[in-house]
Amino acid sequence: MESLKTRKITSVWIVIVLALFIVAIILGILMRLNQGTIIQQSPVTFYGNMTTHGLTMIGIWFVAGMAAVNYLMERYVKTSYGVNLFALICTIIGVLMLWSSTFIGHFHAGWTFLYPLPFKVAWAQWATPVFLASLVVLGVGWLVWSVSLMSQILKKYTLSQAFAWQHFKKNPAVETPPFILITMVTLVGVIACLLAAVLLLVLLFAEYFSNGSFVNDALLLKNLTYFFGHTIANEMLYLGLAVIYELFAEVSGRPKWKTTWYVAVAWNLSLVFILTAFFHHLYMDFVQPEGLQIVGQLASYLASLPAAGVTVFSILVAVYRTKINWSLTNLLFFIGVAGWVIGGLGAVIDATISNNFVLHNTLWVPAHFHTYNAMGNVLFSLGFFHWFAHKFDVGFNIDKNAMLKLTLILFGGIGFLLAFYIGGADSIPRRYSNYPPEFTMAAPLATVAAVFATFYLLAILLFFLNITKKCIKIMSSTS
Amino acid sequence: MQHSILWLFLILAAASIIVFTYVFLSSKKANESDQGMNQPLKKRFWFLLILFVILGIFASVTIPKSPYYLFADQTPVRVLHVAAMQYAFILSNDAINPESQQGETDVVLPLNELIEFRVTSFDVNHGFAIYDANNQLIAQTQAMPGYVNRLRWKFTSPGKYNILCLEFCGMAHQGMRSSFTVK
Amino acid sequence: MYKNNVFYFLVIVIIGWNTSVYSQQDNIAWKEESHVYTKVLDAPLKGYGMGDSTSLLQIAHQNPTILALIFTRCTGICNPFLLQLSEKLEWEIEHKNFNIVVVSFDPRDTEADMSALAKRFHLDQEKQWIFGVTDSIKSLNKSIDFNPIWDEARQQYDHEALLVGINSDGYITKKLIGMRSTSDLALLVGSIYNSFTPTHQLPNKNRLFSCFNYDPKTGKNTPGLGLLFIALPAILTIFILFASNYLGKSERIG
Repeated sequence: MESLKTRKITSVWIVIVLALFIVAIILGILMRLNQGTIIQQSPVTFYGNMTTHGLTMIGIWFVAGMAAVNYLMERYVKTSYGVNLFALICTIIGVLMLWSSTFIGHFHAGWTFLYPLPFKVAWAQWATPVFLASLVVLGVGWLVWSVSLMSQILKKYTLSQAFAWQHFKKNPAVETPPFILITMVTLVGVIACLLAAVLLLVLLFAEYFSNGSFVNDALLLKNLTYFFGHTIANEMLYLGLAVIYELFAEVSGRPKWKTTWYVAVAWNLSLVFILTAFFHHLYMDFVQPEGLQIVGQLASYLASLPAAGVTVFSILVAVYRTKINWSLTNLLFFIGVAGWVIGGLGAVIDATISNNFVLHNTLWVPAHFHTYNAMGNVLFSLGFFHWFAHKFDVGFNIDKNAMLKLTLILFGGIGFLLAFYIGGADSIPRRYSNYPPEFTMAAPLATVAAVFATFYLLAILLFFLNITKKCIKIMSSTS
Repeated sequence: MQHSILWLFLILAAASIIVFTYVFLSSKKANESDQGMNQPLKKRFWFLLILFVILGIFASVTIPKSPYYLFADQTPVRVLHVAAMQYAFILSNDAINPESQQGETDVVLPLNELIEFRVTSFDVNHGFAIYDANNQLIAQTQAMPGYVNRLRWKFTSPGKYNILCLEFCGMAHQGMRSSFTVK
Repeated sequence: MYKNNVFYFLVIVIIGWNTSVYSQQDNIAWKEESHVYTKVLDAPLKGYGMGDSTSLLQIAHQNPTILALIFTRCTGICNPFLLQLSEKLEWEIEHKNFNIVVVSFDPRDTEADMSALAKRFHLDQEKQWIFGVTDSIKSLNKSIDFNPIWDEARQQYDHEALLVGINSDGYITKKLIGMRSTSDLALLVGSIYNSFTPTHQLPNKNRLFSCFNYDPKTGKNTPGLGLLFIALPAILTIFILFASNYLGKSERIG
C-alpha cells in the first residue's frame, strides 16, 4: 500500500501538471489566434511559444503518466520515494531552464530541435546550451525514475513474469497483473527512447564544443530525434492505458481485469512495433534507406492490432450490456479510449507513405496527435487525477459539474480538432506563424479553433480548481 | 486526393463514435443479470482477423505507390536543381554554388514531360513542397543538408505552381517560397 | 549507479571516437551536381586499348563509360586514386560491360606516357580500361566542369579526383569527387546503366555514419555504423533490463 509521502508527492505532481497544462493551452490558443490574425505576435515570439507549448505538453503528460503509474505500482511493489522526488525536482528545474531559454532567450527551434537548427543561432547565444541542458536535466530525472520503477518490478517478478510470458501457457502458477505487464513493456520503451535522447544530446554537445571540427550527420540525428520524440509520445499514452487496465474495472464496480494469453501476446508484440514505428516521421526524407521506410509503415500498421484488438476491444467488452457504475473517472477513461481510436485512424492514414506524400507537415499532422493527446491521453490522466483527488474524500466520488466538464471538453475538443483535419485536407502547412493569403480558409479555421479551444480550456480550469483543492488537502494532511 | 482521405477519416471516426455511444448506452440499460457480450474471444478473433486483412490490403496497395521511384525507368527531359536555405529556394538548371547562390528567376517547365528536381539544403532541414494552382499539395520531398533528394514528376496541367517550405526552419519559415510555371 | 556508468561509458566512447574522426562537408561538394544530364564533349582520343574508336562518345555508344581525369606527373592524389579505383571496381568490371576511360588533362602527357601508366598499374591487359590523351582537353574540362589549376611553384596541377559517369547516349549521369567508398562507386556504375536512386550523399571528408554499405559482390546492403547508432539505445536498454533483473534476483529470493 502506498505511503503518505507517495500520496503527497502524487498530489504535487497533479497540481503542477494541471497548472502547466493551463499555461501550455493558453500558449496554444495564442498561436491559433496569431494564425487567425486576431492578434499579432512576431514570428520569433510565435515560434518560441510553439517550442515551449510542444515540449511542455509532452513533458507534463509524460510525467503525469509516470506519477500515476508510480502511485498505483505501490499496490504491488514498493517504489522509491527518493527517486520520485528526484524526478520531480529535475522536472521543475528542467522546465524552468526550458522556459528561460524560450521566453527570455527566444530560442525557437521547435520542440523537435531538429539538427542543425539549434546551431543556427537566431536567438541569445546562451539559449542553445541552456535549452539542451534543460533536456539533459529532464532526461536524467526521467531516466533514473524509469529505471528505478523497472528495477522495483524486477525485485518481485522475474523477467519472464514481468513480461507475463508464463501466461502463454494455460493456468500459470504466478499471475502477472495487467498493470505490471503494461508498465513493464512501457518502461522498456521509455528507457530506450530516453537513451536515444541521451545519445542525441551527446552528439549535439560534441559538435557544440568541438568548434567546427566535428559535424554531425543530419540523417542520423533526425532518426535519433524521432526515435526519442515519437516513442515518448506513444509511451506516455501507454502509461495512461496501464492506469485504465488497473482502475477501470475497480471504479466501475466490476471484477478486476486479468492478464490472459492474448493480452500478454499483444503487449509483448506492441513493444517491438512501438520501437520501430518512428521511421514514419522520415517518409519524405528520400535519403532514408527504403527498407526502413517500409518498416515504418508496417510497424505503424501492426501497432494498431494489439491496440485495437486487445485494449479497445477489451474495454468495449467490459462495458457492453454490463451494468457499470458510471462516474466521471471511468467516463473519462471510456471517452479517452474513443479519442485514442480516432487519433489512431488519423495516424494510420498518415502513416501510409503514399498519403504522407501529400499530408506530411500539413495541419493533418497536428490534427492526429492533438486528437491522441487532447481527447485521449489527457482524458486518461484526468480520470486518474479525479479518482485520486476524490479517493480520500469522506463519502464517495463526487462528480461536481461532471456533465458540464465533459460537454465543454467534447464540444471544445472536437471543434478544435476538426479545424486541424480540415486544414490538413486543404494542404495548409503546419508550423506557420501566419498563413499565405492564398489559403483563404486558413485564418478563419485558426480563429474558430481558438474559440473551441477556449471552451476546452474552461473545462480544464474547472478540473484544475476542483482537483487542486482536493490535492492541497492531501498535501497538508497528516494521515 | 486529400479530400477523399478526409471523407474516409470522417466516416471512420463517426463509425467509431457510434460504436462507443452504442456500447455506452447498452451499459446504461443493462441490469445486474446481464451477461455482457456473448463469446467475446471468438468475436475478438474475428475482429482482429478482419482488421489484419484490411491493413494488409492497404499496405499492399499503397506501398508500391510510394514516391521514391516514380518514373525511375524514364529519362528526364529537364533537370531542375533546387537549393533550400534560410529563407529562400534557389532554382537553377545547373548545380548551385553555395557561395554565389546564383539561380534562375521565372523558371518555366514543360508540360507532360518528365522533370527531375534535385533538392538539397545549404543549411538546415527544409521541405520542398509543390502546390498546384488550386493550392493543393501535389508532391514534396525534404531538403537535407549534405544530401541530394531526387523527385521526379510529370505536370499534366499548365499554370503557376508554388513551392512552399514545409519543414520548420526558423523565424521566416512561413515566408519561404518560390514558384515556377508549367507551359 | 550502473545507469550512471552506462551514461559515462557512452560519453567516453562517443567523444573518444569523435576526436579521431573528421567529418565535414567540402566546399566543392556542390560541384558534383554540376553538368549532370548534359551531353559530354565528343573529345577525340588517342590511346591505349581504344580498338576502333577514336572519340569519347564512340566509346560510350558501345558501352557505358566512367571517365577518370589524372595526369602522369602527379605527385599527389592521382596514383592512389587510380589504385583504389582499380581495386574497388574489380568486381563490378568483371560482371558488367562498361569502360573506364582514364584521360590525362596535362598537355605534356603523350600516348606513350599513358601506356606506361597502364602498365604500371597492370591494367594494360584489361580490355575495359582505356588510357588516352586528347587535343581538346580544355573543351572536355569545360563540358564536365573540371578546373585543374596549375601551381607554378610546385610544378603540379591542383585538382580534385574526379570520376564522371557517362551513359550510352553520351549523357553525364553522375559525378564523384574525391576518393569514394564502394557503395558510392556502385551508385556511379548503376547510374551509367540509367538505374535510378532517389537520393545520394554529397562528398564528406569522412563517411563514418552511413546507415548501409553496398556490397557489389552480393548486391546487398550491409548495416553500416549509422544503423548501429540507431540500434544503440535499444541495445543499451536490453542491457539495463538484464542488469536490473540480475540485481533484483537476490531480493526476489531473499
